[in-house]
Amino acid sequence: MAGIRRIQRRLNKKFDGRVQAVLEDDIIRLTGELDNWDDVVAACETAATKNSLVHVVNDIKFTGGEIPPMRVPSLRDNAVDGKTPDVLIIGGGITGCAIARELSKWEMNVMLIEKNADFAMGASGANDGEVHVGIDLKKGSLKQKYVLLGNAMYDKFCSDLDVPFRRPGQYILFTQFWLLIPILFFYIRRKYIDGVRSSRFMWGSKIKKEQPTFDKRIKFGIYNDNAGVVCSYGLTIACAENAAENGVEAYLNTAVLSMDTNDSGNIVAVHTNRGTIKPTIVINAAGVFADDVAEMAHDRFYSIHPRRGTNAIQDTKSANIIDCIASVEYASVGSLKSKTKGGGIMRTVDDNVLVGPDAVECFDKEDTSTYPESLKTTYTKQKGTVPAASERDIITYFTGIRAATFEEDFVLEWGRKCPNMFHCGGIQSPGLTAAPAIAADVEKIIVDRLSKKREILQKKKWTPVRRGVPRLKEMIPARRSAMIARNPDYGIIVCRCEEISKGEIIDCLERPLCPPTVDAVKKRIRPGMGRCQGGFCQPLVAQIIAEHENIDISEVKKSSAESVILYGENKGGAEE
Amino acid sequence: MIWTCDVMVIGGGPAGLAASISADKEGARVVLVEREARLGGILKQCIHDGFGLVRYEEKLSGPEYVERFTDEFRSRGIEAKLLTFVTSVERIKEGFKVTLVSRDGVEVYEAKSLVLATGCRERTSKQVFIHGTRPSGIFTAGTAQHYTNLLGQLPTKRCVILGSGDIGLIMARRLTLEGAEVIGVYEIKNTPSGLTRNIHQCLNDFNIPLHLSHTVTRVFGMDRLEAVEVAEVDEHLKPIPGTEKKIECDALILSVGLIPENELAETLEVRIDNRTKGPICDSNLMTNIPGIFACGNALHVNDLVDYVSESGEIAGKNAAHFKRAENKSVIEIVPSETLLYVVPQTLNLNGYINDFVMYFRSNRIYENCVFRLKIDGRTVFEKRYPIVRPPEMERVVINLKGINLRATTVVRAEIVRDEE
Repeated sequence: MAGIRRIQRRLNKKFDGRVQAVLEDDIIRLTGELDNWDDVVAACETAATKNSLVHVVNDIKFTGGEIPPMRVPSLRDNAVDGKTPDVLIIGGGITGCAIARELSKWEMNVMLIEKNADFAMGASGANDGEVHVGIDLKKGSLKQKYVLLGNAMYDKFCSDLDVPFRRPGQYILFTQFWLLIPILFFYIRRKYIDGVRSSRFMWGSKIKKEQPTFDKRIKFGIYNDNAGVVCSYGLTIACAENAAENGVEAYLNTAVLSMDTNDSGNIVAVHTNRGTIKPTIVINAAGVFADDVAEMAHDRFYSIHPRRGTNAIQDTKSANIIDCIASVEYASVGSLKSKTKGGGIMRTVDDNVLVGPDAVECFDKEDTSTYPESLKTTYTKQKGTVPAASERDIITYFTGIRAATFEEDFVLEWGRKCPNMFHCGGIQSPGLTAAPAIAADVEKIIVDRLSKKREILQKKKWTPVRRGVPRLKEMIPARRSAMIARNPDYGIIVCRCEEISKGEIIDCLERPLCPPTVDAVKKRIRPGMGRCQGGFCQPLVAQIIAEHENIDISEVKKSSAESVILYGENKGGAEE
Repeated sequence: MIWTCDVMVIGGGPAGLAASISADKEGARVVLVEREARLGGILKQCIHDGFGLVRYEEKLSGPEYVERFTDEFRSRGIEAKLLTFVTSVERIKEGFKVTLVSRDGVEVYEAKSLVLATGCRERTSKQVFIHGTRPSGIFTAGTAQHYTNLLGQLPTKRCVILGSGDIGLIMARRLTLEGAEVIGVYEIKNTPSGLTRNIHQCLNDFNIPLHLSHTVTRVFGMDRLEAVEVAEVDEHLKPIPGTEKKIECDALILSVGLIPENELAETLEVRIDNRTKGPICDSNLMTNIPGIFACGNALHVNDLVDYVSESGEIAGKNAAHFKRAENKSVIEIVPSETLLYVVPQTLNLNGYINDFVMYFRSNRIYENCVFRLKIDGRTVFEKRYPIVRPPEMERVVINLKGINLRATTVVRAEIVRDEE
């Protein structure tokens, strides 16, 4: 780690005395004033050392725009008031939900709260779904450790949870012949030192034979056959459902507003829009807001700088252009890092083609809007991987926000000033891959801590197995017919693009923790995910929800309470 | 158990109904498959009038128009499988093996010929590259129409409509009548996309402004749509920087194009015309796969239902008479650059072609022009037009009696300035 004086000198050079760095309590706190967000990020990056535990805390005043406060649901009630869970997990993304599932096997009260209207509404709901091998990571970081462990756990993780998972393999491709020697060194290092054992070096001729749709200019590449694809929100929701089936209490639309701590720094009360919770232990899995949650417990020892990434989804019709994960990497002399700038191209587990993501620093942690430049960047790059990739086949695109720290590593530790908060901060890519391994470790840590106070036993009736809504489309005709004979609603196709039946939608609504919204059903079983993007099925899904919940169709929302779809009966009213 | 029929019609909208009736008239055993609970397709929700002007010389509403077909369909006792979805079609020696899913389970039918009457779908906001947030309140015009007309619900109180396609114009009027405020219709092109009569009856009569050469570039709002950004576009249809304007509204209604639904056809290796996005057909409306016929909006996007019905009748009749053994060589009809497309796209070399119907659209507005069909340079058909416009499909009947077509024959369709 660079000395604080050196850091200050570098900052002075770049920012002309407008940014000050101080070392306090093993953190580097930056203060000052800057009007350009990219400068704020650059200043913090200047002060930061990759993977260091001495984190940069960003207290630079940004004057170039207004950073909006965290959006809080309008709901106000007392649903969680007075609860005293052993463990309170803040955040219903993949990390929080996977931890909840692991903790559910123990005799303890676990509660999970999520401020959005559903699980997986942050980065877990808007990423590329790649299960990484860690080829881009050096030994020594938490990311690297957990990506290797997590990847190996995925087959069981997904089969237990009834979530589709495939390992189609990943190619990292190079067109510049002069990169051969450095890439060979890189390859040997990753394979034998960093432990990415599945890596194989491949010449262009073999790659072309295996993957005829790849660009003809590819000279060589590195192939990993255990890179996988999964539906990240499907998996997050499956974890939440399994946790709930095993006794975890989960609350959506529940945001942490503030916390009370005692003299020793411990959290004694967590105030939400739905009442006050008094937990023994708090797990901070709040994604982009992890540092804000830490601040509420006076324990902000790292800063999250949101980094936007946009992915495009192509029609399943174009799936024949790729059956794996691939990306071509370019380098200029002296710089081998072009990773994540233009993402990759892959066949998703649902047989769409996904292109992206890009990486753009932004100050608004919740601005998931898309910009035309993102598609331009990713498509320009990925046409160099698979020339048949085409914007004309796009059916949708979306933005997720990575919760990056300036050290670019995960933060997995007990609070430094708040002893009863465990931080899962800075969980960005490959956080999805790492989730099962992080959850398993956090489980041990939490059980250890609680065991000091009382004996913690395993539940007798715990099951890691969750069965999701049956997927009739994938069944052989005889089985499908038998299912339909039992429930004729399975024979009524509502979403023609994805072939989803009314019966499956009703099953979905009856699963634990499924909010009765159009988007919740869409995320769980895919009606509206196809090429018509719900043009045909949205009114039908809304009607099924209304009937099932016994509410008026105008009460059915897209997602949040404010995301109204209909304003009630028109002048004529409904025909009876 | 495998069921059999002569002609299986997929889709129970106006095209499929007409195809079923005409195949039945020819004595074929017909089964119609419809995924919804009721026959009629999109016409069920088209409660405005103007249907049937060509066919019946009457102004009918969509439901009234389609009722004439459903009545005849039922009186003929044709079998309709409702709430039934085609999951796959395979080619077999005798024709086609069609797998269906319904409340009765999975069923398999073997049909000698197929008529694809699967209609079209609407292009979505992402398919026209609108960026921004993902709120509720962005509807395709057809979806908004479904909510308004079939469910009696108001999807907006104050909206912007993008695209001047016919459904967009119809919805501008419809929503105004329901008390919503339609701020304006924005069209990226410099000419309207919908029929002239709809511009008058739906916009002008209700003082709804039409902004040509404008498009929506961004949407705003985290929960429900709060505003859209519109901008003027240049001659390449690219937004001109500095012309952006933010308009507060709760909905964006899109009428930005229709795409024929041919995913089923593509799994059967039916060749698709890049211009129409529908199958390439001969004058019998048969595709390149013997025994598969296409009609209606699955064949090409029509602006009048009267022609949808007509193409259904042609396809249904020929599907009924389809014989597997015949030679099915075709030659292509080459359209001039001034044509957006022609349908049919090919001519059958087997025997003479008597009267056949040809549909075409020009690529832009031409005044005082002539449409010609030339065979080996010789004009075999021509018709003069004071004006042709891309939004208005033209229909002609051409007779090639006595003309021998060979594989080397060059057939050309063109629109040229009328020099006389």
